[in-house]
Amino acid sequence: MSDTASPIPATPNEGASRYGEVFDRGYAHYDGPREGRRRAILSLFGYSIKRALGIRKSWTAKILPALLYFSAFVPLIVMIGIASLLPDANVASYPDYFVGIFTIVGIFAATVIPEILVPDRREKTLPLYFARAITRFDYVLAKLAAATVLTMTISVLPAIILWLGRQITAESPASAMRENLGDLWRVILLGTLIALTLGTIALVISSMTDRKGVAIAVIVIGFIIISSLVEPAITELNQDWRRYLILIAFTLVFDAIGTSLFDSQPDAIVQLADLPIWMYYAWVCFVIVAGSLFVRWRYSPRNAS
Amino acid sequence: MHVTQDADSMPHTDAQPAIDVRGLRKSFGSFVALDDIRLTVPRAAVGLLGANGAGKTTLIRTLLGLISPDSGSASVVGFDTRTEGTKVREFVGYMPEAEGLPTNTTAADFVGHMAEMSGLPPRAARQRAADVLYQVGLAEERYRLIKGFSTGMRQRVKLAQAIVHDPKLIFLDEPTSGMDPEGREEMLELIERVYRQLGIAVVVSTHILEDVEKVCNYVVILDQGRLVAAQPLGGLDVIGGEAIVHIDGDQSAFQRGLESQGVTVRPADLEMGFEELVVEVNDEAVYDLIRDLAVEQGASLRSLRTRSRSLEDIYLGTVGEMREEVGHRV
Repeated sequence: MSDTASPIPATPNEGASRYGEVFDRGYAHYDGPREGRRRAILSLFGYSIKRALGIRKSWTAKILPALLYFSAFVPLIVMIGIASLLPDANVASYPDYFVGIFTIVGIFAATVIPEILVPDRREKTLPLYFARAITRFDYVLAKLAAATVLTMTISVLPAIILWLGRQITAESPASAMRENLGDLWRVILLGTLIALTLGTIALVISSMTDRKGVAIAVIVIGFIIISSLVEPAITELNQDWRRYLILIAFTLVFDAIGTSLFDSQPDAIVQLADLPIWMYYAWVCFVIVAGSLFVRWRYSPRNAS
Repeated sequence: MHVTQDADSMPHTDAQPAIDVRGLRKSFGSFVALDDIRLTVPRAAVGLLGANGAGKTTLIRTLLGLISPDSGSASVVGFDTRTEGTKVREFVGYMPEAEGLPTNTTAADFVGHMAEMSGLPPRAARQRAADVLYQVGLAEERYRLIKGFSTGMRQRVKLAQAIVHDPKLIFLDEPTSGMDPEGREEMLELIERVYRQLGIAVVVSTHILEDVEKVCNYVVILDQGRLVAAQPLGGLDVIGGEAIVHIDGDQSAFQRGLESQGVTVRPADLEMGFEELVVEVNDEAVYDLIRDLAVEQGASLRSLRTRSRSLEDIYLGTVGEMREEVGHRV
């Protein structure tokens, strides 16, 4: 840095008011590296994650994320610990685990992900962001990446721990790891798809409101209503199209994908709907792509200030 | 410290204008926000004046590369706003009018983040944030949450985030908006300091003429999307000043004598109980004419005092002329 020394002595003005004092210790111009868009996108990505987790915010902002991480990791670690101590105890199967964790991931997406997008609208910081070295597309990209990675920390990481736990508690951990490496990739794939889908849905809803509470309520109530309506609709309706209703109940969608990945028995409703498995994958991909495009559109110049 | 910018990407030399606008036009539907703006602004403290709806904000947003013009082009600190928008924003700061700060974070954290958003590496960003918060007088408060800050302190945080990446130019949109007189005075002092001591060119968008008179040395006036004036503020008397002439003698003859030389003259209001003439001074030679005519007519020149036109006179005069001209065309 080059110091352009100022002629003013380094003392505050006498009698200056509480705002008005300008201390002069010389102003250093910056002549170091400028890393442009790449740095800006990385910074926005990291800052969004930190803010969503309540890092460098008041302690109250940290409570909910901490509770959710606790409920995702601690029971799992306890279960693995018990299984390692008691040979007769079983560690949960992957499909059972994902059914169980789906609710926690859903609550996480509903309550933590809106924090990535909503405050910038509510606090009107968007003009500040768009006046920096990024484009609107970069902004959306960084936010989508932050939402996905953050959701993966609660959908993929515990699943990897589960995989490790299952191998460690096996009779021969080293050979179990080699033999079950395929399960690891399936676990990561399923966890990533859940993170991308729920993260994108949470961002879509968050992009439509300036109030975090509204976003949370819409996401939670939406999941509850859909989950409670789809099952009776599929079983009670006579029309053939009823089986496609299963696609809007993501608990069942991921049950179908999970059970197909791990060759286990799907939920009775999934069996009743009897949709080909590619349709679930295609639907999930469509939701992710369409949701991302929607958020991109919401932040186009006409829609975002 | 090493520099990673290559020569081609270095934005600015002192010889370059800060802003160069060539035939910029932007409309929103049938509303013409900017109408064929042609403008070259040096590195200066520039007052961007105009009423609400004059096109100030649209011009700033276009110069930041956030809005694509319908036609024309512009370059800011050497970068084309249409094709190098992110580069422009890397070297330019912006302080918006609206309240736009996160509340549940510290000033140091937010300003550091904004430095990174302009491309600075994390370590340098943290250091710069501490430095500029010190420069704007928030050294002690930088680790406090912004939600506890007063309006004046928030304005200072906004100024700090605008200069944290050491820009070549900053746009300040209504920087004294909503501030009490004391806070406003201090903000103007800070802006002046940013220009004079930190060496950063400043564009202050405002409708408060007094603010411009206090801190700016160049003025750009917009009205209804059109450029009305763009020139140094110190030389505003070039646009026109007035001489108040008090003579002992035939005042009517003196007035006719000046008018015959093409000078505009009118009787002054009887402010002091004297009959005086108001002579428009567009050229130094007018003073010679007054002196020579007084000698020629044998009149005693009792007093001659000049009265520069204030920025308000200029603003009202030029805007009025522009509107009249447009009205005639219509």
